[in-house]
Amino acid sequence: MTAMAQRIDQLWPELMVLTGAVICALIGLSRQRSMRAAVPIVAMVTLAAAVLIEWMRPNSGSESGLLFPSLGHYVKIAIGILGIGLAAIGAGHMDRKFEAQIALGRVSFDPLRVVRGEYHAFFLFSIAGVMLVCGASDLIWLFLALELVSLPTYIMVALGRSNRAAQEAGIKYFFLGALATAIFLYGFALLYGATGSLDLIVIRDWLSVQSALGGLSSMAVLGLLLSTLGICFKITAVPMHFYAPDVYEGASTPVTAFLSIVPKFAGMCALIMLLGTVGWNGHSITASDGVRIAYSGLPQPVTAVLWMVAVLTMTLGNLGGILQKSIKRTLAYSSISHSGYMLIGVLAGPGAGFDALFFYLFAYGLMNCAAFSALASVERRGNDVDSFDDISGLRAKQPLAAGVLAISAGSLLGLPPFLGFFAKAYLFMAALEAGHVGLVVIACVNSAISAFYYLRFVLVPLVAPPSARADELAASNSAFPRIAAAVCGALLLLLSAFVTQMLGAASRASSGYTPVAVGDSAQDSVQSARAPAGGDANQVVVDSSTRHP
Amino acid sequence: MIASLAYVVTPAIDAPELRWAGLLLLLPATAVLLAGGCAMARVRSKLAGWTTVLLLLASFIITLMLYGQVQHPVTVELFDWIDFTWGDGSKFHGFSANFSLYVDSLTLFWMLFVTGLGTLIALYATEYMEVDVGQGYTRFFAGVSIFLLAMSILVMAGNLLMLYLGWEGVGLASYLLIGYYYTRPSAVAAAKKAFIVNRIGDLGLALALFLIWDNYGTLDFDGLFQALAHQPTTWPDWDVAAIPYLIMLGAFGKSAQIPLYIWLPDAMEGPTPVSALIHAATMVTAGVYLIARTMPLFALHEMALPTVAWVGGSTALLGATIAVAQYDIKRIFAYSTISQLGYMFLGLGVGTSFGACYHVFTHAFFKALLFLTAGAVMHGFAGQLDLRKLSGIRRIPGFGLISWTMLVGCLWLSAFPYTAAFFSKDEILAQCFIGHGPGFEFLGWMGLATALLTAYYTFRVWFRVCAGPVHFEPGTEDHQADAHSDQHEIVHTAHGHSPVAGATSHAFHPHGPRWAMSSVLLILAIGAVGAGIPGYMALSGKPNWVSQMVAHSSAVDAAGVTQSHDHPTLIGFDVHTGLTIVGSCAAIGGILLAWYLHLHRRKSADALRLALMSHPITRWVTIAAENKWYVDEVYHAIFRLPLWAGAHILAFGDHHFLDGVLVDGLAKLPAAAGRVFRPLYGGVMQGYSISMLGGIGLILAWFVWVWTSRG
Repeated sequence: MTAMAQRIDQLWPELMVLTGAVICALIGLSRQRSMRAAVPIVAMVTLAAAVLIEWMRPNSGSESGLLFPSLGHYVKIAIGILGIGLAAIGAGHMDRKFEAQIALGRVSFDPLRVVRGEYHAFFLFSIAGVMLVCGASDLIWLFLALELVSLPTYIMVALGRSNRAAQEAGIKYFFLGALATAIFLYGFALLYGATGSLDLIVIRDWLSVQSALGGLSSMAVLGLLLSTLGICFKITAVPMHFYAPDVYEGASTPVTAFLSIVPKFAGMCALIMLLGTVGWNGHSITASDGVRIAYSGLPQPVTAVLWMVAVLTMTLGNLGGILQKSIKRTLAYSSISHSGYMLIGVLAGPGAGFDALFFYLFAYGLMNCAAFSALASVERRGNDVDSFDDISGLRAKQPLAAGVLAISAGSLLGLPPFLGFFAKAYLFMAALEAGHVGLVVIACVNSAISAFYYLRFVLVPLVAPPSARADELAASNSAFPRIAAAVCGALLLLLSAFVTQMLGAASRASSGYTPVAVGDSAQDSVQSARAPAGGDANQVVVDSSTRHP
Repeated sequence: MIASLAYVVTPAIDAPELRWAGLLLLLPATAVLLAGGCAMARVRSKLAGWTTVLLLLASFIITLMLYGQVQHPVTVELFDWIDFTWGDGSKFHGFSANFSLYVDSLTLFWMLFVTGLGTLIALYATEYMEVDVGQGYTRFFAGVSIFLLAMSILVMAGNLLMLYLGWEGVGLASYLLIGYYYTRPSAVAAAKKAFIVNRIGDLGLALALFLIWDNYGTLDFDGLFQALAHQPTTWPDWDVAAIPYLIMLGAFGKSAQIPLYIWLPDAMEGPTPVSALIHAATMVTAGVYLIARTMPLFALHEMALPTVAWVGGSTALLGATIAVAQYDIKRIFAYSTISQLGYMFLGLGVGTSFGACYHVFTHAFFKALLFLTAGAVMHGFAGQLDLRKLSGIRRIPGFGLISWTMLVGCLWLSAFPYTAAFFSKDEILAQCFIGHGPGFEFLGWMGLATALLTAYYTFRVWFRVCAGPVHFEPGTEDHQADAHSDQHEIVHTAHGHSPVAGATSHAFHPHGPRWAMSSVLLILAIGAVGAGIPGYMALSGKPNWVSQMVAHSSAVDAAGVTQSHDHPTLIGFDVHTGLTIVGSCAAIGGILLAWYLHLHRRKSADALRLALMSHPITRWVTIAAENKWYVDEVYHAIFRLPLWAGAHILAFGDHHFLDGVLVDGLAKLPAAAGRVFRPLYGGVMQGYSISMLGGIGLILAWFVWVWTSRG
């Protein structure tokens, strides 16, 4: 009972967000305009409250029986903050034509024709899903939480816009998502078959026994591979990335922003938790007493597949981005390539790799928030802007949007004064430390290629002459996207001064994780199978000179 | 010849109790934000100006408080900033640069006049810029705040990376402020020129940073100085020996020395307070500070300091020769800045950091004074700055104070005996004769010749503009038209203005400065007088404030190194006495020459010019000097034209090859592939699912093939 109470105690932010979702769904149907207009504000306030609750709480997750006991703390705060930005981007976007007609008195309010309440409820459900992913102790919870992230997004894509493209994108996204779910569910089943348990810690113990006693079974490896590939859909990695450009283009701007950040956050966390059951190969971290601890475990095939997926993802993403004329498609390819960079952090493993990865996830979220809020703060004839032609010479009409777009592109590209530079630098250095030199070289070449399309976000709005289409641009009806753009743009610059502090926060996310068995049943077998460990019984201590193969 | 020396700089003490010194960065930053906020809120009053002045005044007070607290070098860690560590299997590498301050007496010395003069100039600008209230006023003060913020970061920096941050910030701020009148093409061109020329110097500094990190593994000043103190005394390899030369390049760019001085005269396109800011308190002194701060690095190569001395001496002479032949008041003062900066570098190079820093200090006062008086003249006469078109303005009501404070500035600039600049210049020139270096003695005589020219061109301005019969032609500056005309009326009624005899334009009424501008001019004049006290004490051999400040910093050793014990003589006297005599003669001679040509018999100046023009050889010299020795044109031919041509060739290649062949070709590839795989793509969902499953199938097949065939 106390264990249960403790688990529930961890869930206050989720409960807060879910309550907010219910309120949004209810007041979205109110007959009063002001109540309906308050929906995005309710969403933002509940997210802020969730962040605050998590922030105030002492991070005491270490006894919670989770593989990554401290992951939730960081992720809940990070996704909560990003969620506030995303809600600001979407504020005033849903129902804007219908509400405008109501305001003019042409039509009366019709509860069947408004979607704002539902949209924000689903928005909050999905974010609650991300928070729950980090609290997953077993595969069923993990699966359900991942679906809680995805299912609302299918509907959000279709709701966000009332045109055919959005419906088509929603349907496509749903069916392909179901396919990916089937694949990783199959992987989960194989993992269960290989270990006889659903509990992540028990799986971790069994797998470490297996690897200690002569290697992982093929079934376990196959299970890991299939789960990894299935989750690639959430993080838009090769070979599950095909849907991204179509869906991102079809969805409305706030939804695209949401898709580029939230499922990726969940997917990365899930990927780390799954791979956390087998640990990492050839990586070491320094413990608090200065002893270097080497981890072994991430099986060769998984490493090889992840390596390949990372390289293909960033390369195809960047090459695809070059040829696009649509801004959203370009950003879709950009988001694909960033998944490739993040996989480098996954490969680099605990310690520096995870620190850099979690730093990167937040920084990436902030950069995308900035870019999309800049896009959302302008509209053309009441529609989203989409082609580069639309924003040509944007500086003349919307200097803020143009400037923020340029800053976010510079940051996504990884130019030095911006946050993105530090994110990338930490990631690459972690990979170097883990011995993935080739991967870093490829990633650097890719960064250079990506300059080709990122610089377009600087040149077209700031340097190019205004086009005929750009003359029809107007500021969006809500001020929230502009505020979000200003704040995110400023943060991209200002946070560069606090990177060490941010990295410290990110490094606490993976603290408490031990990749080798600590359970009672497995411990003896592991101890007998391995060479006597020096010092700590739970970890294998090796000399630092032998830690790289 | 300077011997290789192990420089010993007192190790800094960590002083967490002085964290409040971070306010020196925070206050100007707040000023930037407030001015930005005023701009966003479209404030149409002088609010932004006053917040800036108050915050800068606060940071001056904090500097004074810090001055009371710091006896020896301290480092103050504000917060961690960059801390990279990575290992490659054999050893760990690290790169860390924290937000920390390195505070020693040199820092404080600089901060005192950066914040002090910054406050005064901002106060002056609150009145000077009032015609732009509502349009550019907030933008101007935001720029000034950025300027002083960047300068504070530069001076207070605890490591070279932070210094570089401030260095770039100063460059940015100068670009923004020089280009303040962005509708005027010449201002935009000047801003671009300043920025680009500075970039060349910045490149040198950046390379120096890379080399320092590569060789010493740290960018912290304290760590670097300690590492230098413990290195072997043999001459190092080229990659270490190159460091002082690269730093020098950076300093030459920022401080307008040969070959990168060309941006400074154009920089007066900005509003006059900006010129005062650039020429006196910030920007150009950054180069002197950089060399003084990193003085221990200049022992890494035996020719490094003599190079600085020679560049400085040549720049001093070149600047003076150009200034002699100019007609624009601000332009003359701009060239005089280049010339005076040359003296400072000469001082650093021959080994008297004290002299150089003291000259920076005295120069800051009288040059701020001169620019602000020139600005007041310009403000009063609608942009008129041609000294041929202004005369006798000291008799015009409201301009008396300007004329007399300008006279103070001119006396100081021409190093009139027993003024502050006389002492500081004497200190530098004496060291030329005392120090042992290649051609130092020649540089000393060159400096004396420059002093003669300086006195001449300075008083040419004053005798022409302030003395003589009253006569003026107002300029045609736009702020005289439309919006400003109302302002003029208000000002005139306030002054009870009466028409002036001899005015060529009856519609125009010159107006004098009000309290803000006047009080700033007075304070500066008093400061300039007071700045002579340390020099007077130095001459009488007593320890003085400036030498104490310099002696307890990283710049100390240059002063100590070449202190020789033999006392050389000059024209038969002890070198200081000799210099007092020769220097006084040069200054007074120059002033007398100017008096004869430009006040006593103004026609003779024109006659002299005609006479020079009539002879084929001197004719060439005159024209060349009036055209600034055609340096801009030569640079244009040597650097700009080839770059321009190269840019067009590259653009052609980019357009026709990269865009035309490579990108369009690439674009055709997916299209071609698309035709083959059309059933799979084209937005059809089944196609996507087959691609995804196919991809997974391929990966799994590969896995099965590799790992089952092994086992």
